[in-house]
Amino acid sequence: MNAVPSDAPLGIGRERVYVWELPVRLVHWLLFFSILILAATGYYIGNPFFSGTLVMARIREVHLYTSIVFSLCVLVRVYWGFAGNRYARWSEFIPVTRERLRSLWKSTLFYTFLSREPVEYPGHNGLAGLTYAVIYGVYFVMIATGLALYQVYAPVGSPLHVFRFLIPFFGGLQIARLIHHIGMWVILIFMVAHLYFVILYSTIERTGIFDSILSGFKFMPRKPPVKP
Amino acid sequence: MAQTRLMRELERQGISRREFLTFCASMAAVLGMPKSASATIARAIETEERPILVWLEFQDCAGNTESFLRAGHPTVADLILDTISLNYHETLMAAAGTQAEDALESTVAKHKGKYIALVEGSIPADADSGYCMVGGRSALDIAREVCGNAAATVAVGTCATFGGLPAARPNPTRALSVADAVPGVKNLIHLSACPANAENITALIVYYLTVKRWPPLDQYRRPLFAYGTLIHDACERRAHFDSGQFVEEWGDEAHRHGYCLYRMGCKGPATSQNCPIVQWNSHTNWPIGCGHPCLGCAEPNFWDVMTPFYERLPNVAGVSASRWLDPVGLTASGAVAAAAVIHGIGEVRRYRRGHHRPPEDKGHADENKHESDSNEESRK
Repeated sequence: MNAVPSDAPLGIGRERVYVWELPVRLVHWLLFFSILILAATGYYIGNPFFSGTLVMARIREVHLYTSIVFSLCVLVRVYWGFAGNRYARWSEFIPVTRERLRSLWKSTLFYTFLSREPVEYPGHNGLAGLTYAVIYGVYFVMIATGLALYQVYAPVGSPLHVFRFLIPFFGGLQIARLIHHIGMWVILIFMVAHLYFVILYSTIERTGIFDSILSGFKFMPRKPPVKP
Repeated sequence: MAQTRLMRELERQGISRREFLTFCASMAAVLGMPKSASATIARAIETEERPILVWLEFQDCAGNTESFLRAGHPTVADLILDTISLNYHETLMAAAGTQAEDALESTVAKHKGKYIALVEGSIPADADSGYCMVGGRSALDIAREVCGNAAATVAVGTCATFGGLPAARPNPTRALSVADAVPGVKNLIHLSACPANAENITALIVYYLTVKRWPPLDQYRRPLFAYGTLIHDACERRAHFDSGQFVEEWGDEAHRHGYCLYRMGCKGPATSQNCPIVQWNSHTNWPIGCGHPCLGCAEPNFWDVMTPFYERLPNVAGVSASRWLDPVGLTASGAVAAAAVIHGIGEVRRYRRGHHRPPEDKGHADENKHESDSNEESRK
């Protein structure tokens, strides 16, 4: 799929670059929908504001099954960070190379209005990549606190009982519950900011970033991509 | 069968054989054993030599002793644990002063490595602090000597198990649990809860007499027969929880109908104990049964992590997160959205004023910039 002819007629000075592979796009949308479901059901579980026959039981059930989808997505995406293309690799998120650190610095200047030059790069700019790394850290905290909270309900013989060490690790179930609740808001705030920056970049860069998470392609100014 | 001392005592106190067997059956039930086990338990209690018990009290309210005295079958339990084998118990023993201390000293010396130490209350870490001295000796000193020479130590109640109230922040006496005060203590068993349920104390000793070893424990060294089930999972109000029917206010219609106390801060979903099944005061009732949320007293540091008792989430900066977390989260999300709109308007204006060149132009400009690049050259 990478072998898109770079001289295809795509408007003046633009070329089509395959950035997001199928697993990346799939994980993105499954995460999006599972987070919406998890946040809605989780909010109800923390603050049940209406009643009905078995409504809490059903909502908890939906929350638990959705959490399986969410956790598997996170694991698949981490695996893809080692197996995917250059834009999906772990080094795009955790800046260790000089180029990525420079990209982090440049994009931070852009986002804080100190520079008017956006970073032109088909993958994540340095700041975006680091933000996603932090958000994945939050995802892991959510999975760990969720496992700690679920572990006490897990049926006899469930392999999830191995996670009981997480309860003393977090300092008790109530602390795990608090962290889990705070994590929900951190992720929702991230989603709002993420949506805005996508629209912003889509408008000023015109690389088709918004559509790229459906198609996988971005339309970059015709020049060799900056080495990450 | 030759009449044992226990049987003679039971007869003397006018306790029928039937009453004794009822006690054995109830112990089998608490331990999660089949009914047929009650005969084995009866035989073990009748024939086995009682273990010698020493009951130490440190920083506590004697609540566990009070609970112990209200055992489900008090006379039988008393006979088994108190009359026959409890060699030292400050609150219950008739002896006082030097006599009492002698009883402890002689028990430790005579039955070294054979007696069972039951500890109630937490132990101040600093032996010279002057907190909690008994007979001129520090609690730490006594605990290290008595528990260190015991065959097994049972920490009775949350203070002895996890530090409890004395160890709650800011912990002025630097109170420790038995496990922390006596490192490496042998066969330590925890019976947390505030107070520990008398049925569980008796059942633990009966288990030891019958099976000759200590029961399987959970990760906090609590016997699984008593702490293997989440209160929430065995709660009589669980059906109301599952249907989202909650008490919203003390004494409201839902409260009078026995709805779930989840929204009133019940810690049943975070606490493991057999309260819903064994209940308290001879199976009379239990906290949730009489309309009060569970305080989570059987869990570590419950004074710090289960408070406020009437809120869902713990305190952060002195205010329950239940009160501020959702409003703050919603406001922050809204603020980020508003900032995005304002920033977006600014960006659009900047773009219209021409600060951002149209990408097509930029593309050409970039081409000039990268003239030196060989790929770029070839494309031209």
